[in-house]
Amino acid sequence: MRSPRKVDARSKINGSHKFIDDYIFPDMIYGYLYYARCHHGYIRKITFPEEFDLKNFIIIDYKDIPGRNIVPEPEPDQPFLVENEVYHYGQIIMGIAHPNKAILKQFVEKIEIEYEELTALTDIKECLEDESNAFGREIIIDQRQSLEPRSEWIKTSAVYYTAHQEQAYLETQGMIAIYNQDQRSIYVLGTMQCPYFVKEAVEMIMGDKITEVVIETAEGIGGAFGGKEDFPNILAGVASLLAYKAEKPVKIVLERSDDIVITTKRHPSRVEIETYTDPVTNKIRKLKIDYRLDAGGYLTLSPVVLSRGVLHSFGGYNIRDVFIHGRLLRSNTPSNGAFRGFGAPQAFFAIESHIDKIAGDLKIDPLELRMKNILQKDDRMPTTQIIREDHILDCLNRVIEKSDYKQKYIEFQEYNQHHDNKKGIGISICFHGGGYTGNGEKVLQSKVKMTIEKDAAVNIYVANTDMGQGAHTTLAQMVSETLDHPLNKTRVVIPNTSKTPNSGPTVASRTIYIIGNLLCDLSLQIKKEIQGNLDEYVRSHNTLFPKEYSRCFTPDPTVVFDDKTYLGTGYKDYSWAACVCEVFYQTSIFKLDLKKIWTVLDIGIPVNPKIAEGQVEGGLLQAMGYALTEYFYKPDFGRMHGFTDYILPTTLDTPEMDIEFIHTDSDFAKGLGEIPMNYPAPAIRNAFHHATGIFIDEIPLTPERIYENIKGKS
Amino acid sequence: MKISFNINGRNVKLDVDPMRRLLDVLRDDLELTDIKESCGEGECGACTIILDDKPVTSCILNAVHADGKKILTANGISKTRIGEILLDCFDQTNSVQCGFCFPGFYVTAYHYLITDGEPSLEKIRYALSGNICRCTGYKKIFESVIMACERLQEGS
Ligand code: FES
Repeated sequence: MRSPRKVDARSKINGSHKFIDDYIFPDMIYGYLYYARCHHGYIRKITFPEEFDLKNFIIIDYKDIPGRNIVPEPEPDQPFLVENEVYHYGQIIMGIAHPNKAILKQFVEKIEIEYEELTALTDIKECLEDESNAFGREIIIDQRQSLEPRSEWIKTSAVYYTAHQEQAYLETQGMIAIYNQDQRSIYVLGTMQCPYFVKEAVEMIMGDKITEVVIETAEGIGGAFGGKEDFPNILAGVASLLAYKAEKPVKIVLERSDDIVITTKRHPSRVEIETYTDPVTNKIRKLKIDYRLDAGGYLTLSPVVLSRGVLHSFGGYNIRDVFIHGRLLRSNTPSNGAFRGFGAPQAFFAIESHIDKIAGDLKIDPLELRMKNILQKDDRMPTTQIIREDHILDCLNRVIEKSDYKQKYIEFQEYNQHHDNKKGIGISICFHGGGYTGNGEKVLQSKVKMTIEKDAAVNIYVANTDMGQGAHTTLAQMVSETLDHPLNKTRVVIPNTSKTPNSGPTVASRTIYIIGNLLCDLSLQIKKEIQGNLDEYVRSHNTLFPKEYSRCFTPDPTVVFDDKTYLGTGYKDYSWAACVCEVFYQTSIFKLDLKKIWTVLDIGIPVNPKIAEGQVEGGLLQAMGYALTEYFYKPDFGRMHGFTDYILPTTLDTPEMDIEFIHTDSDFAKGLGEIPMNYPAPAIRNAFHHATGIFIDEIPLTPERIYENIKGKS
Repeated sequence: MKISFNINGRNVKLDVDPMRRLLDVLRDDLELTDIKESCGEGECGACTIILDDKPVTSCILNAVHADGKKILTANGISKTRIGEILLDCFDQTNSVQCGFCFPGFYVTAYHYLITDGEPSLEKIRYALSGNICRCTGYKKIFESVIMACERLQEGS
């Protein structure tokens, strides 16, 4: 295991690396997404400011769409542009472009729209409480064993809530679209995770007006975390239509204050859990979960977020009698989408908080309860999938040892008796399925391609983007190590749909796990063919090169998942983790701080340990923000402004982090990107509970929320 | 209004609306794209430059503020000896992820190196507290700056 340096680090540090807003094309003009400032209603009248000459602006609305006004991926239910009824604040109504950015801004600020307002559901809790708001996918996992609860069993029930979370990628969304009249083609350059989704979107909106669409990603993608999975489809669609109408390149880069209002966020959740536990054995005998997500205005990604959420909702426990009900609820807020974890952080917040609640009811250490019920070798998940190793138990044992949890658990209780400010320690355990859920990877059929040039340079073509996770360095490293070929002669080519095959979207912790391992297979195939040193082979067989190689993902036939019952192999391989969080609570100001986090993960073999560590560090801090500060204070969050009212962790808030990778079985790299986001929030919540004895069923634990909770109880 | 300033060692004279954001003048007129815009309200530090001797966020300054001043950006810093050492430290720790915040961190950390340079985690956390990074969790950024402080101390 080596940690070679990243291929793109130097240019990113000195600022020469190009992000979408750094590109300029001749004759380029600037575009703006004009969006609804109404939660629900009909558009009655649009008035443009008179002091501007409308001839100088390119303006498009739904009537200008030559193709179909429906965003094709992921769930085709959302229009690119509002036709009549606005369904949520921030929904795009028009695209507007002008050669001068400043004039464009003045113009759009003065546009007035009259709406006929309809009743709007914008209060998240109100939406989540009312089952009649359910729409789209509904999932039931029914593994009830007709077990009647015995009278001595302890019933524990509670409802857990999580709020929106903003991805807050530092680079806002942006695209440049260029229309070529002669070739009737459109080229889109942008910041995105899924070039082939964007391609479908542009084809859909443009219809038969064009014959070719090429999507390329910018050299740099300034963070995404899921936020650039589906919104870029709309943005690219509108930019393309503007470019087509203007016959000029159009650049749209969102300002932060617009980005935070109109793009997708993490789904708010309401998860109700009921358990029965045998107080003699401390075994959880029955588990019932009602898992609900607020999808926002349209379904888009929500059905698949729901699938993953449900398949992680039961946590890392061996419970035989299980019933899970998963639903989506509709509100008049922007559609929620992908965000690192994808339904799993909500699931683990609930189940891991609930485990502490049961422990409280049984009056035992939450560690003891976890140890009694944890998934072990040969145990079955409620989906019937059998666990082959003691993955999660090994992670937990190691993290307990490292953090000195047992000692601190008692020590802090004593400390707290004599001090106004409190110390606490909490645990959580979790897993994350790698790749698409269920049969997803079978359907995707990802393809990868490599070329070997005349000078033995190896070029890797995959549609997976490097948005900061270091994927292009890691993938090149995997190929270089398998081929025994120098890393500086092995590189991933910036994804461009005209030459890069469709290796699926950059999501679901699948880039290294699915695509990287597929590239390793292809490299082995090449190695077999050349039998020895690649440089030498290319020299001695020079006429054969350049040569192209490709490979398609072949699903494991033993992996079976039933989409109706949700039973079977939800994910072929899981990553596992456990953590311990130590907190400090300042009683007089209701302020909770995370002091230190210890975490142990089983992600198989990390390819580049430093890059892997960096992924965990970043994920942990995002999870800390989720637990403590990140919150849309204004219920009507269309009025949020940006980083002044959405509080992101800074250098001063960063806790100490102790990260260790262990590996239990797999000798390959498994998914990593998302798992560190899944589990710290409940551990922080549990530590607060340990510190104060106050059980709060909701995050973030802002001083305001803690105060309200204490006030409400007294 | 005519303004003039020195940027990365180069003298420039411009005729601009003095109330335009300095960030826009640098990025759009001078095409200095090593200065990034993220929040646009002085919160995140992505657009940090050194103006005379202070790190400032150029998104909340008007162009007129630059008149008669000396500006240093990430690109300019990378050509200095200390800048090269710092860059190598950021690179060596694999601290960079998406990199969008990095020119800003680079500028702020460089300013810390030339004005203080003590390899103290607490001081460095404080010095960098005006820069937000969403990817890294800051840990490797701290390590890099400490490493650069130490290398400079050894070298001097
Ligand atoms: S590296 Fe992405 S924001 Fe810092």
